Amino acid sequence: MPKSTRKQDKLYIGGDQTADAIGAAVPRSVEAHRPPSPPVDQTPRQNRDEVSGVSRRSFLETLGFVFAGTMVAGCERGPVERAIPYLNQPPELTPGKPLWYASTCGACPSACGLLIKCRDGRPIKLEGNSEHPIFRGGLCAIGQASILELYDSQRLMEPFANGRKKAWPEVDAQIIARLGEIGRKGGKIRLLSETVNSPTLHRCIKGFLQKFPRAKHISYDAISVSAVLDAHERSHGVRVLPHYDFEKAEVIASFDADFLGSWISPVEFAKSYTAGRCLDSKQTSFSYHVQFEARMSLTGSKADRRHSVLPSDLAGLLRELGKLLSSQVSAGPPLPEKLDEEKKTPDHGAVDRRVLIDLAERLAGTQGRSLVISGSQDIEVQMLCNSINDLLGNYGATLDIERPSQQRAGDDAELDLLVRELEAGEVDAFLVLDANPVYDLPNGEKVAAALKATPLVVSMTTHNNETSAAAHFLLPIPHYLESWGDAEPVAGIPAVMQPALHPLGNSRSMSESLAIWSGAGKPVRELVELTWREIHFSSKTVGGRFQDFWDRTVRRGFAGLQPHPSAIVSPRQVSAAWDEEPLSHGEPGKGRSKDLLTLLLYPKVAIQDGRHAVNPWLQELPDPITKVVWDNYASLSSALAEQLGVKDGDIVRLNVGEVRHTLELPVLIQPGQHPKVVAVALGYGRMGTERFFAVGPDWFQKQLTVEKGQTLGGSAAPFVGMTSAGRRLHVQGVKIEKTHRQRMLARTQDYHSLELPKNVDPGAPPRPIVQETTLSAFLKDPTAGSQARHGPEANLWPRDHEYVKEHWAMVVDLTACTGCSACVISCQAENNIPVVGKDEVLRKREMHWLRIDRYYAGAGPDVAVTHQPMMCHHCDNAPCETVCPVLATVHTSDGLNAQIYNRCVGTRYCANNCPFKTRRFNWFKYSFENERENLVLNPDVTVRSRGVMEKCSFCVQRIAEARIEAKVEGRPMEDGAIVTACQQSCPASAIVFGDVNDPESQVSKNLKSPRKYTLLKDLNLEPSVAYLRVVRNRESSKVTGESHG
Amino acid sequence: MQERTQKFRAENGQFFNGGVLTIVLSVAAVMGLVSLSGVATSFRLPGDHQGYEPVQPIAFSHRLHAGELEAPCQYCHFGAERSRYAGIPPANVCMNCHRFVTASRSAIRGEEQLAEKENREPRAVESPELRKLYDALGLGKELSAPEPGKQPRPIQWVRVHKLPDFVHFDHRPHVAAGLACQKCHGPVETMERVRQVENLSMGWCVNCHRGRTDSAVARSGLKPSTDCSVCHM
Repeated sequence: MPKSTRKQDKLYIGGDQTADAIGAAVPRSVEAHRPPSPPVDQTPRQNRDEVSGVSRRSFLETLGFVFAGTMVAGCERGPVERAIPYLNQPPELTPGKPLWYASTCGACPSACGLLIKCRDGRPIKLEGNSEHPIFRGGLCAIGQASILELYDSQRLMEPFANGRKKAWPEVDAQIIARLGEIGRKGGKIRLLSETVNSPTLHRCIKGFLQKFPRAKHISYDAISVSAVLDAHERSHGVRVLPHYDFEKAEVIASFDADFLGSWISPVEFAKSYTAGRCLDSKQTSFSYHVQFEARMSLTGSKADRRHSVLPSDLAGLLRELGKLLSSQVSAGPPLPEKLDEEKKTPDHGAVDRRVLIDLAERLAGTQGRSLVISGSQDIEVQMLCNSINDLLGNYGATLDIERPSQQRAGDDAELDLLVRELEAGEVDAFLVLDANPVYDLPNGEKVAAALKATPLVVSMTTHNNETSAAAHFLLPIPHYLESWGDAEPVAGIPAVMQPALHPLGNSRSMSESLAIWSGAGKPVRELVELTWREIHFSSKTVGGRFQDFWDRTVRRGFAGLQPHPSAIVSPRQVSAAWDEEPLSHGEPGKGRSKDLLTLLLYPKVAIQDGRHAVNPWLQELPDPITKVVWDNYASLSSALAEQLGVKDGDIVRLNVGEVRHTLELPVLIQPGQHPKVVAVALGYGRMGTERFFAVGPDWFQKQLTVEKGQTLGGSAAPFVGMTSAGRRLHVQGVKIEKTHRQRMLARTQDYHSLELPKNVDPGAPPRPIVQETTLSAFLKDPTAGSQARHGPEANLWPRDHEYVKEHWAMVVDLTACTGCSACVISCQAENNIPVVGKDEVLRKREMHWLRIDRYYAGAGPDVAVTHQPMMCHHCDNAPCETVCPVLATVHTSDGLNAQIYNRCVGTRYCANNCPFKTRRFNWFKYSFENERENLVLNPDVTVRSRGVMEKCSFCVQRIAEARIEAKVEGRPMEDGAIVTACQQSCPASAIVFGDVNDPESQVSKNLKSPRKYTLLKDLNLEPSVAYLRVVRNRESSKVTGESHG
Repeated sequence: MQERTQKFRAENGQFFNGGVLTIVLSVAAVMGLVSLSGVATSFRLPGDHQGYEPVQPIAFSHRLHAGELEAPCQYCHFGAERSRYAGIPPANVCMNCHRFVTASRSAIRGEEQLAEKENREPRAVESPELRKLYDALGLGKELSAPEPGKQPRPIQWVRVHKLPDFVHFDHRPHVAAGLACQKCHGPVETMERVRQVENLSMGWCVNCHRGRTDSAVARSGLKPSTDCSVCHM
């Protein structure tokens, strides 16, 4: 022991000295934080090693620990994973195998039929129900994205009474007591909802109104089409929304109706519109579509002819058209003479008279096979549309009012009355059924103030919103994927909603709540079944037992029935309404000056009225026309921007004289827009979008998508003109002031260009990326518009890939593609694609595997727009494959260009070498906010980690699934067995996928189309994606050159 | 600075010249070599869990069920031909037999002999391992219906065969190709407790897909794909 002490003594000294010496080599900053050592001679020797930094012993201890640690780490097995099987496994369920349920989309009142794909008890993907007679398998971007809201961790999960969490029985007791009290006193009870297309909810509201006779139900739509219904009430005696059929229409004249993007039922309209524009079958039938509008809408971008007109000029145009028609259509009754007395064609900004004459001739030639529609909220415009359609005999052919649409039924006049009542303090109980009037209505602040003074406010909602902030009772309703329900989008085709998982929160459907409060409480499933038993089954045409009918319906998702007798309307002859005086109703801009600017408010394709504003997928979906993400903006024409001296991104302040509201938005210059119009989208500035300050990766250069505590964009709803005759979306007399500030708009169009850089070959003509032709030229020569260049004279690529079995390929019909972007979200949901936030998009790092490029051709109002979906082209001679140093991207035997994530080291050479710019790099680990959102992930697709390249895989997981299914069943794979995610959701059926080695497959047939072309032919890439040329139904092609931007 | 460096060198020279250090270093070197030789023989790549044999919550014997009683694998792992996962059987599959069979034959024989000796009716015998199954299902003495107040709890088995998350393995085509389960899972019918026999590495998979091994696959004329995207998607 003494020996050892001595030895230690010696070493102690050395240790101390060593420590000092080492200390000198420590960087300054560390040295500065070192506690000062006590003087050596005052310290007991035994403790010296503790006070000095490193001693021999601690050095060896550390060494030993590191050594042992390395050994242990080498032997570790990773975390123990538990496998927890069911105790009693449901017979229909096999873990790892998807289950499909038919249901109905509840994301908006259009109520598209859909199929829910469930894996191991949770929905992971929504797809259109291809058996549905109306929607035929399409599903829009909003419908696709609505699955993300199911797993939203900020959904309302518990009922609240006066800000405190309460149990349902307690809430019910209180509400019933309060309602009873108000009912006895004869107080006013008001129910406010959006369009109720659910027969069950309708029945429950009726039951509630019977219990409280003084109660009243008002429905409205945030994006109103009230004028269409009101006009039909005047002209036909029934307040209905016609069911439009674009397939039968050979001439479509749309006066500011964005029917492919946001008007009423875009999926249904896109399906029937493209069905009426068929080029490849034996008989070519191609409708003629002319669009009159002020801003460039998605529908306008597809139109054969587009004319930019002021919203206030629509009535004049229609009147002129009516006059021209009445002289041409001899059979029909002449239009009332009153029209002739009205002034001539509007002089300013309106279209050439020859355009109208041409349109009148075309319409007169297609009586009963044409359609004149308008999205205007001006009842005069709608009345004129009705008269013209009646004159042309379109009712009963392309417009059905006997089996009308029930997708929008809001009544703006009633809403106006309700707001007055609220403001006067006359309402005693206000029940909000999943509506948000405080946000939607222009006088929202007043409504909010009035709600504060209302004795009882009940808000049923999925999320906290502007209206529920003032509610006494805040009641969570289930997401539509969690609850039973029904809908009847078109009379006679009711559909069922069925739950695909157990509700995640303590929510209760509105039907059930209303039934309980009116004393007939039942679980919602029984309520729905009862409705079907009473309303739909009693139709004599349905035979057999109810249970069989019900089971069949739940399996299919819908039923095709004779409409209920009450649903059939008996239209009155048009015309009587014309005598009424005056049709126009104090439009604010009457007696206007020509120089005033018009503010046009519009719903965006993905954002609509803002009800899904909290959905990051939709916020990051590039707008189909402007390609802007994560922001609102003021669209101006280039002429107006020049006049004002503003450019893209300059913030301007908008204000309208009468409205005490200003809005500051960045400017966006939009080709094709009317020079006197400023267009601003609705749906921004929503409560709940504050959460997006956290979106995107966290790093030191991060710019927030929204500032903390701020909402995304600004709300334009206060500018909506609210009159007793309806809410209108255009206001005259908007003033624009410059603020000399700027805000960058994140657009996905400006980069990833396929064009050759100017400095590479200055004199080169533009590459023929978009090829188009006119219908007349196409009919003469189907290959018209071909801009084929010389292919390569010699081939340096070895023919080392034999596609023995299959060779996958895709053909995209650009004539059909409307650019609606449903495919982009479908791809995102299927392939676990992350959201990156505005800043990352500005850095050109958005992650969508499928983007839609938008091209403008020509100038002026009649600018031609082409939408071109761009995904990995799976080139047979793939430039990405040759440059990968680690073989992480390789060719497969079935023609896929596979990306192997676990092999990728992230050199990004492949992305540099990809001429289509379809490769995406994971600059960060794009994790989700928390675990609940992760439930939406597709377990068949790897979640990529940081530093890995990714891209479109042609939905290789779906190919594998179909191949394995075929193998197990011992049969060959059929054509159509593999439907990629983008193809499935496409409302225009523009995408076809299949095997080129099978000459009978649809894709092989499409590849033989004379319209087929492939991109960048001169590079000899042999891509597996081909396009079918754009055909426009116009006489001469105005196309002069293309601009990518 | 230069002065300090020189001091450092000088003192360290003194330090390293110490006899103690020589002893320490040589001991460390020997220990290192000994332990490294162990590492070298059992060297495995990360994620290689060959030989993994965890203790399961219920001592279920594959030797008894699959070996002695010759129960076909897919009687319990019925997912193998329908789904990508073979699946761990749900408890209701166990109950198909164990509603009636509550203990081993020897235990029952013992009780019968004991009862004969004591001249009484034999009592019901219940294996303690099967009791865990019954408890999981919330069953009491009576096995036909759950005992009121007893909470069913799923059984938390420990997963043995596991592939990384970036590998997509599907049982269906392998079963359809007529591959024996033992080809990948080893002689499970001889195992009291399941052990991972193969290393389940990519090279091991690919060797079979390439037909380099003397497997049923290569001989059957099936040409399993070796495309990366077959497993990595």
